[in-house]
Amino acid sequence: MSASEKARSVFERIVTASGVERLLISLSALVLSILIGAVIILAAGRMADCGTAAYRLALPGSLITQFTGGSAVVSMGFCYDPIAVYDQLFLGALGDVVGNPTNSQFATTLAETTVLAFSGVAVAVAFRAGVFNIGAQGQLVVGALTTAVTLLFVAPVFGGLGVLGTIVVLPLGLLLGALGGGLYGALPGALKAYADANEVITTIMLNFVATAVALYLVNDASRFKDPESFANQTEVLPEFSRFPSLLFRARDDFSLVALGVAVLTLVGVWYLLTRTSFGYDLRTSGIQPEAAEYGGVDADRTIVSSMALSGALAGVGGAVYVLMVLGNFQTGIPSYGFDGITVSILAGNNPLGVGFAAFLFGVLKSGSIVVQVGSDVPPELVGVLRGLIILFVAMPEFFRMAGRRFDSLLPERDDQAAVATDGGVRNE
Amino acid sequence: MTDTDAAVRLESITKRFPGVVANDEVDLTAERGTVHALLGENGAGKTTLMNVLYGLYQPTAGRIVVDGEERAFGSPRDAIDAGVGMIHQHFMLVDTMTVTENIALGNEPRKFGGLVVDHEAARRDVVELSERYGFDVDPDQRVEDVSVGVQQRVEILKALYRGADVLILDEPTAVLTPQEVEDLFAVLEELTDQGKTIIFITHKLGEAMHAADDITVLRDGKHVGSVAADETTRDELAELMVGREVVLEIEKPDVETGDEVLGVDSLTVTDERDVEAVSDVSFAVREGEVFGIAGVDGNGQAELIEAVTGLRTPETGSVTFEGESVTWDSRRDRIDAGMAYVPEDRQERGLVMEFDLVENGILGSQHADPFASGGRIDWGESRAHAEDIVDEYDVRPPDADAEAVSLSGGNQQKFVVGRELERDPRLVVATHPTRGVDVGSQEFIHDKLLDLRADGRGVLLVSSKLDEVRGLSDRLAVMHDGELMAVVDPDEVSEEQLGLLMAGEHPEEVPRADAVAPEEVEP
Repeated sequence: MSASEKARSVFERIVTASGVERLLISLSALVLSILIGAVIILAAGRMADCGTAAYRLALPGSLITQFTGGSAVVSMGFCYDPIAVYDQLFLGALGDVVGNPTNSQFATTLAETTVLAFSGVAVAVAFRAGVFNIGAQGQLVVGALTTAVTLLFVAPVFGGLGVLGTIVVLPLGLLLGALGGGLYGALPGALKAYADANEVITTIMLNFVATAVALYLVNDASRFKDPESFANQTEVLPEFSRFPSLLFRARDDFSLVALGVAVLTLVGVWYLLTRTSFGYDLRTSGIQPEAAEYGGVDADRTIVSSMALSGALAGVGGAVYVLMVLGNFQTGIPSYGFDGITVSILAGNNPLGVGFAAFLFGVLKSGSIVVQVGSDVPPELVGVLRGLIILFVAMPEFFRMAGRRFDSLLPERDDQAAVATDGGVRNE
Repeated sequence: MTDTDAAVRLESITKRFPGVVANDEVDLTAERGTVHALLGENGAGKTTLMNVLYGLYQPTAGRIVVDGEERAFGSPRDAIDAGVGMIHQHFMLVDTMTVTENIALGNEPRKFGGLVVDHEAARRDVVELSERYGFDVDPDQRVEDVSVGVQQRVEILKALYRGADVLILDEPTAVLTPQEVEDLFAVLEELTDQGKTIIFITHKLGEAMHAADDITVLRDGKHVGSVAADETTRDELAELMVGREVVLEIEKPDVETGDEVLGVDSLTVTDERDVEAVSDVSFAVREGEVFGIAGVDGNGQAELIEAVTGLRTPETGSVTFEGESVTWDSRRDRIDAGMAYVPEDRQERGLVMEFDLVENGILGSQHADPFASGGRIDWGESRAHAEDIVDEYDVRPPDADAEAVSLSGGNQQKFVVGRELERDPRLVVATHPTRGVDVGSQEFIHDKLLDLRADGRGVLLVSSKLDEVRGLSDRLAVMHDGELMAVVDPDEVSEEQLGLLMAGEHPEEVPRADAVAPEEVEP
């Protein structure tokens, strides 16, 4: 078997893996990434300077003494302890979850999970429709901006109503986010459907547009900038218009209500995809556009509506970020939209899987903070470890996606070739 | 003539894909210095066979002999090393590079110990090659600036540059204008004069007759004949391509025809490349009638049917359905109005391969009663429906949860036919409804179509099986090169007359069927 054939058959195995196999692949990828990460931690620990070694590795002396001559057991010191690092990274993110479920580390984890669930499911919807929405970041920013700026004017009207005000304003805020993000997503959708513009290019460019417009709107007090502040941000929204912290502490910026909305959204999108005519159209277009067209699906309309839905979900994510975490709109929103792409790929574009993938991301993000606070490991190294885990776990799913999209380029894929015994070319 | 004289000999090549035998013990012998045409309809297995010879596929069984030496090609690289080159239908050229750069790409002559590409040497080689074979190409022009015909010549030069003695051309004329086709044939003649061997794939029998020395005909993956071009006739070739298995006796009771269900008036349709594929075609299908369209595949039937069913927008002309114009109606509107459609390509259009049969059973009705209400799909109802189809049409394995991709081609076809015929349609547009299914199921599908006819529905049937389309049709149109040659009475017309019509000739005294509108018969 030649090298290329071997590579191809491995590739094929990944593309055609079953659900259980995929789970096992993900788990072993996780273990492998931790092992490689441990080696990197040790290597970095050898190179760093520290007073006392955080970790000592005892090696059987014979390995080394045969070169140096010395004691039977040689111990080697490292500045960072890989076991402690991974312990803090994973378990630190949960805090004392059993004794004190509302601890602040866990709150941070869940807050991250909540926002990422929205951006992840946004990307997943578009991917399922066969549209590559790289613009979730821009849609999220526009959603956040729409919500913050509009509520700034609308919320005071409901000021005196107490809880009732929250019940009115909060859903309104989410709706505004959906509207802003949805329109901003529909735009590249329409460009693709009616002007044949590649959505990858347009959505990436619109990300910059969104950031720039947001900056323009909040960098001057004559517009929406808070005149009291030096930072580019709007005034803070009234407390009642934001997500209530419920059982958690207010300063942890997490709300169970928002998490609940996220969970409902994921289930809702899952229902939409699997149980409705619209979902059927969308999935068919994504898998086999020719068959969708045959089945009466209007390809152009499906592109626009799936992009609008995708943008709306990202927009709600932005609204949640404003109403749960920030309390106002600020420039420099973290890259939730881009992380959403990885979350979606990690989840195999399954809306329910997005929940778990978002939680893994949340754990890694909040765990990184714990590692940085609790050890001497530099933040850059923590970033490397995080990236390593995500890369390893997401890669097999990414290959699966790429494989489906490009399998027509693989002449050896037999079931595909069976479709095209004519060389895949329509003869005229 | 001994074995070693042949440039290429393929012996009993079999290539099997899951569910499909693309080549079934095919033999082909191309003599040195000749043009050999590989003729057959779409899906006959021509390209597969040549991909086997070019090393893109490995044969399931059989021998490849090149220059008297048995070969096993693991990849196109092996084939090129053995002197076999292939020019694909879609050119693999870099638009922004010059002709010379494209030709030398990957095999550039080097200088200074292999460190630097020797552009001068490459250019010299290309000029020398193109002069030797009388090619009119400018080595310094960019590929994006030259015509398609010249690009094709660049592809041929590329193969020659790599030392090809045997050139395979996949549908070389499909992308060319008539003048360019003539130029190409002149080039091929020059090449064979200088000892090269050409195998070209085509489904146009006129081209095969005109340009080839020998012709090998494939049908349904099988080798059905090899003839010398000057010893055969067009209608003999047409018959070989389309076949005439007279295994089926079709009992067709008389049915009173009713109103017009489908009217096609002066329809002109272009294909993907904006070439006119259907030219001013008119006909009508009435209630209780099977209207057949015969012809060699690729003469505009596909485009015509797509325009009728709403998958392609016609240039001019109109389509009426039950008296109302649907020319601009969407595909979904036409489905909802009662137009069922068994598509030609079940694996690309007719089924979503990754969906199970439950999901596939509602393709086309995913918005309609009884499978959906208020935008919600009733999967229980859908499952029952899929199970009914599986049961009634004997789909195996009888498992509605099976993914479409796991079924064999014949069973996929049965499921698609079942889904479409159970729609309670006003009109069934059926293209190759029995392609790939066993004889028993063929009869069953024929009976179902005739039941619909007896029930006063209209059937528009396109089939390349002559006996099928003759046996089922009440009136039979023959299509050639985008035009309806004639509408004939299938019971009266002779095979010879059909063969000539399919080949684009007008025999004397064809038994015409009483036409609804006289002008639809031959201009």
